Amino acid sequence: MTAAPVSPAGVRRARWRLRVRNARAFGRRYAARTDGVVGAAILVFFAALALAPALFVGPLQTVTIATAGALEPPSSAHLLGTDEVGRDLLNLTVHGARVSMVIGLLATLITILLGAIIGIVSGFVGGRSDQVLMRFTDFFLVLPTFVLAIVLAPLILDIVGTDAEVFGIRATLMVIIVVIGVTSWASTARVIRSQTLSVRERMFVDRARVIGGSRAHIMRRHILPNVVNLIVANTVLTFAGAIFTETTLSFIGLGDPFAPSWGQLLNAAQGSGAPGLGAWWYIAPPAFCVVVVILAFTLVGNALDDVLNPKAGIRR
Amino acid sequence: MSARYLARQSAQAAFTIVMIVLLNFLLFRMMPGSPDRVNPRNPNITAEQREAAKARWGLDKPLIPDQLVAFVGSTLQGDLGYSMKFQGQSVVKVIGDRFWPTILLIGLAELIAIVLGLALGAYTGWRRGGLADRIGNGLSLILYSMPYFVIGMPLIIIFAAGLGLFPTSGMLTAGASYDGPLDFLADLVSHLVLPVATISLGLIGGYSILMRSSVTETRAEDYIATARAKGLTDGKILRSHAIPNALLPAVTLIAINLGYVVGGAITAEIVFNWPGLGTLTVDALNSRDYPVLQGIFLFLGVSVVVANFAADVVYGYLDPRVRR
Amino acid sequence: MTALEGRAVARGRRQWPLPKQADPDAPLLVVEGLTTHFRLGRQTVHAVDDVSFTLNDGEALGIAGESGCGKTTTALSLLRLLPSNAEVVAGSVRLFGIDLLTKSDNALRRYRWREISIIFQGAMNALNPVRRVGDQIAEPMMERQGLAKGAAARRAGELLELVGVPRARGRAYPHELSGGMRQRAMIAMALACDPAVIIGDEPTTALDVMVQAQILELLEDLRSTLGLSLILITHDLSVLAETCDRVMIMYAGRVAEEGPVGRVYRAPRHPYTQMLLAAFPDVHSGRRDLGTIPGMPPDLRTPPPGCRFHPRCPAAMEVCRTEVPPEVTFGDRVRVACHLYPPGSDGTPRSLPPVRGAGAEVGQ
Repeated sequence: MTAAPVSPAGVRRARWRLRVRNARAFGRRYAARTDGVVGAAILVFFAALALAPALFVGPLQTVTIATAGALEPPSSAHLLGTDEVGRDLLNLTVHGARVSMVIGLLATLITILLGAIIGIVSGFVGGRSDQVLMRFTDFFLVLPTFVLAIVLAPLILDIVGTDAEVFGIRATLMVIIVVIGVTSWASTARVIRSQTLSVRERMFVDRARVIGGSRAHIMRRHILPNVVNLIVANTVLTFAGAIFTETTLSFIGLGDPFAPSWGQLLNAAQGSGAPGLGAWWYIAPPAFCVVVVILAFTLVGNALDDVLNPKAGIRR
Repeated sequence: MSARYLARQSAQAAFTIVMIVLLNFLLFRMMPGSPDRVNPRNPNITAEQREAAKARWGLDKPLIPDQLVAFVGSTLQGDLGYSMKFQGQSVVKVIGDRFWPTILLIGLAELIAIVLGLALGAYTGWRRGGLADRIGNGLSLILYSMPYFVIGMPLIIIFAAGLGLFPTSGMLTAGASYDGPLDFLADLVSHLVLPVATISLGLIGGYSILMRSSVTETRAEDYIATARAKGLTDGKILRSHAIPNALLPAVTLIAINLGYVVGGAITAEIVFNWPGLGTLTVDALNSRDYPVLQGIFLFLGVSVVVANFAADVVYGYLDPRVRR
Repeated sequence: MTALEGRAVARGRRQWPLPKQADPDAPLLVVEGLTTHFRLGRQTVHAVDDVSFTLNDGEALGIAGESGCGKTTTALSLLRLLPSNAEVVAGSVRLFGIDLLTKSDNALRRYRWREISIIFQGAMNALNPVRRVGDQIAEPMMERQGLAKGAAARRAGELLELVGVPRARGRAYPHELSGGMRQRAMIAMALACDPAVIIGDEPTTALDVMVQAQILELLEDLRSTLGLSLILITHDLSVLAETCDRVMIMYAGRVAEEGPVGRVYRAPRHPYTQMLLAAFPDVHSGRRDLGTIPGMPPDLRTPPPGCRFHPRCPAAMEVCRTEVPPEVTFGDRVRVACHLYPPGSDGTPRSLPPVRGAGAEVGQ
């Protein structure tokens, strides 16, 4: 070996090679889990639908352009039947994918952001701040946040006005996104905090402190990379939960009839008496999609968790 | 169980309740317009009631501390305002009427889900592998991914509308007259089956998954090896050693879950048109009946806190390590 | 005196009936050719290979060796208390002349705890945290011997007193006791069904030195008053020297040397034993550098052919690489498995030029 000092570029290259190798190892381990692979495939499919629904079924049908009869069972013209105003359900369901997934994504981002920041800061700083933050978090854990969401959403809507738009998303949906984010962060925060605590105990963090890194620097450079694995798995599972909650909130009536998510479709189905009338084609597609997507996220999340955070198992 | 442990848990519960009341106050103040403008909009309240409310809540006084104190005071006295939708009935009365059907529903469903879910999880966790384990696990996973109403709707379509075994909605048959308590009970039960099944199925998935992993972890503990070395039978080890320890995380989960169950029960009630707090919530939502909504929030919040406290007591009974 | 002490006084052999199939003249425990394998994925770990030893009534046998040499697995194999991926593939374990390995799982259960009981390392984890200590001691008596609850509780109290724990502490939970008390409670629990043999798996390793000494003293007392037979597993040679009559040194799943403690410690024959002893500080000797054994124990998925110690042995010869050394017993009742002592040897090591030079001196 030469005694020449390594250049910064060399260090960067070495780091990059290490990352690539880790990524490949991860890919191999993940591919070994059939449940994770199936889940991922399902998600890719729905992501495709969500990204360009019009590509598959044409533009979203509104009441005005609906042509068919009301509540018709599936036929060759309408593969999934029609709703109570004659709209093609295949069309509605595919467009619903976009609404549900987008809402889920944004709500998840808020949840993870809030949860991770509070969790890491709380776990790392410790002491009084930690206690106060955790009291606050536990409060949100105990609260029936779902009920809180139901109270908050219309309140905010009435204050803001239903026609407002933020980033091109109607206020109705935006409110749901924010409300889900604000009420779901607590369990993420708890999980991330405990991981932060265990990472903090480890030696190298102490060494960084001795060298004199600022707290923010330590949090970013040392704690975060080790917590990231947990955050990733948690994010996927949170996404599942967000879709779950959004569907339920829409079902209760907080959704937007003009940008129907799957939950909103089910709300309309319930409202038009579909279950009692036996109009299963109205209920089955959105219900099936919801369950399959949530299941897929759960499978992927569990697989990620196992691959990224292996726990030694002793069988007896 | 040490008095200190109980005192600590009660203090925490009390603190949470205080926070909930405060949060409620904030929501109260957030109502569009100020409160004194809301009530005049309600055509069903008499002028005297309006004046009395104004005085009681200190609406003509500064916000903090007077209004806050007045608010807390009236809350403690059971005055939560008047419903806008229900002809000016007090919120407390409106909620009170719908309280028991919801408790009946949730109570029964939780009971069944806990017993079946934990038993299933314990059995599959103890004897891992095999077809029954895989099927059970798969089913649990699927059920865990289904919102309650997504479970409920197909149940109605298949068993009520399709096979006609159960009524499609409601708690009791409308306009029925009963020959006696047994007759009443029969009608009630036939209406209960599908909604309870819906919520139970929604819960069983999660409970069984958790118990399975908890039992699996417990199985690897050293004291289980000791129990085997003692020559105890497999069943005895499971019952006396594994399950009492594996139950601990399960109890914690059940407690944390209570908040969500309440939410889910709301949707189940909608699907079955059950005359409980769930349908009340939706009605209040649609008619923007804020006093009722906030009353429900306060009420459910406090209920969950109390239930959590009960769960803490149970946990303390099960795990001697936390009792000091 | 208590019933226990009364029994002990009358003890020469066990007082209650031996199992029906027992041979009253056979030695207490005879293990021959015990071989246990673990399945790890698609590979097999040869954890214990052709291990034999005898335990006589009232004796204390120590099993020593590095971590992973198979000591615990050997002990667990006696009663088939192995994890689900392990299997005893060969050998016999004769307790009172009855071969336990031929018994079905259910039949084998009868012998657990009632004939052979175990004290595990780390009592904190080996005791159920949510049940009272007294209950756990009484449990085998109720379940296995059919004692009524009251009688079992009383006897549990007696046992606790016997091991030096106040009877009232039986109402405590494991986390409420100190480390030493917990270990004593474990010993009391091991005595519950009055077994013939007690296996102690590193019973003092997790304790500080003072408590260690107390526990060892307790075991000694119990041995003399109750006439217990003991198998003590440890990697700490000084503990063995105090408590055991005979010691068996294991390496990589095989027996290296075995014999009376005094003989083996004062005149070790096997190179591994010599290096092991050299690595232990001795209060009485002068200052010296502690020896170390270079290298690491072998991966038992692919154990080296021939003698498993040969890669690290300073006296390794050609034959060591290819042939498993046969066991040879000498007049002083020491058994060695080493090519330096071929069958017919008189106890002095064969001096052939070693294949590898350097290293610690062989023989003293």
